[in-house]
Amino acid sequence: MLQSLRRGLLAGLLAGLVLATFDFVTDGAPGNGFPSVFHWFGIHPANSTISHYGGFFLLIVLAGVFGLFFGALQRETPVSASRALLWGLGLGLLWWLLFELTLTNVTNHASSPFGLSLGSFLSSFPLDLLFGVLLGAIYIQLQERQAPDVS
Amino acid sequence: MSILSSAGDPKRTAVTRATEASATALPVTLNERSLIGMALIRMFVGYLWFQQLFWKLPPTFAGLYTYVVRESQHAILPGYGALLQHTFLAGCTSLSSPVGCTAFVPLAACVWTAELLVALTLLFGLFTRFGALLATILALQLYVGLAYTEWIWTYGMLVLLALVLVAVPSGRRLGVDLWLAPRLQAARQRHRIARIASWFV
Repeated sequence: MLQSLRRGLLAGLLAGLVLATFDFVTDGAPGNGFPSVFHWFGIHPANSTISHYGGFFLLIVLAGVFGLFFGALQRETPVSASRALLWGLGLGLLWWLLFELTLTNVTNHASSPFGLSLGSFLSSFPLDLLFGVLLGAIYIQLQERQAPDVS
Repeated sequence: MSILSSAGDPKRTAVTRATEASATALPVTLNERSLIGMALIRMFVGYLWFQQLFWKLPPTFAGLYTYVVRESQHAILPGYGALLQHTFLAGCTSLSSPVGCTAFVPLAACVWTAELLVALTLLFGLFTRFGALLATILALQLYVGLAYTEWIWTYGMLVLLALVLVAVPSGRRLGVDLWLAPRLQAARQRHRIARIASWFV
């Protein structure tokens, strides 16, 4: 159990790092998406440096928490690729529903917590699913790498 | 100089030996780190295509229009401009907006869908080589139409990047092809579709 938690945490942190790195190559000023991570929790730091760096680290920490959750769900040893990818997709969907849809709408005081435009759906949904797929795929890679040590 | 007279020539013998040696060149195997690196490159190239969807969103795809007009004026292949004039730009009356165009929206929808497909296949590593092949075709088209309107290597590099991803099965690490490839490999003897699909993972 401890090993799957550790593996999940590492997979989550690495998948979160990839997600965060995407923000550095986004059109416009790089890193402009990081302050919105604070906004999910209703925090609006006045200092731009704090909101950018803090948002970057908070995103990775949240991804780590999702990774821990992923690891806790894996009781089967070893986990098959299909199971890991499916659970990853599920957690990616949960990430999108929780952060990008509900919390974003609630903190923006939108008329509905589930309101969505095509642009905002397209800009967030595939990337959050990708986070989930990466979580599952990295978990599998780590499991395969550690397999000789176990046997 | 005839072939027979050169048979005992030491220089020719050396060349023959070198040829034999190159015929038994060591096979190249990518290690795990290189494969992970290729998977990361694949995702970033996918993200590059993904970002370009947002300045030409449906239902009007208006952002694409000025680029198609530019392509029709600066294409490096003779006849390509005329082809665009008679398809994408048929019936258009303005150079800045798709007023009066009869076929622009459906054709732009095809381009946008193709780019979305490229972005999703490369980001998720799902039928990656198919996505990379499609990216090569789209990037080649951009090169033909726009190469001389920007830095000439801009679209050339895009073509080369896509070709690298056609050559290396980068979706088999950190992608859905990791799960798909062994299944298609196992089924390829029995099913023709699986055999064809396995080319693209």
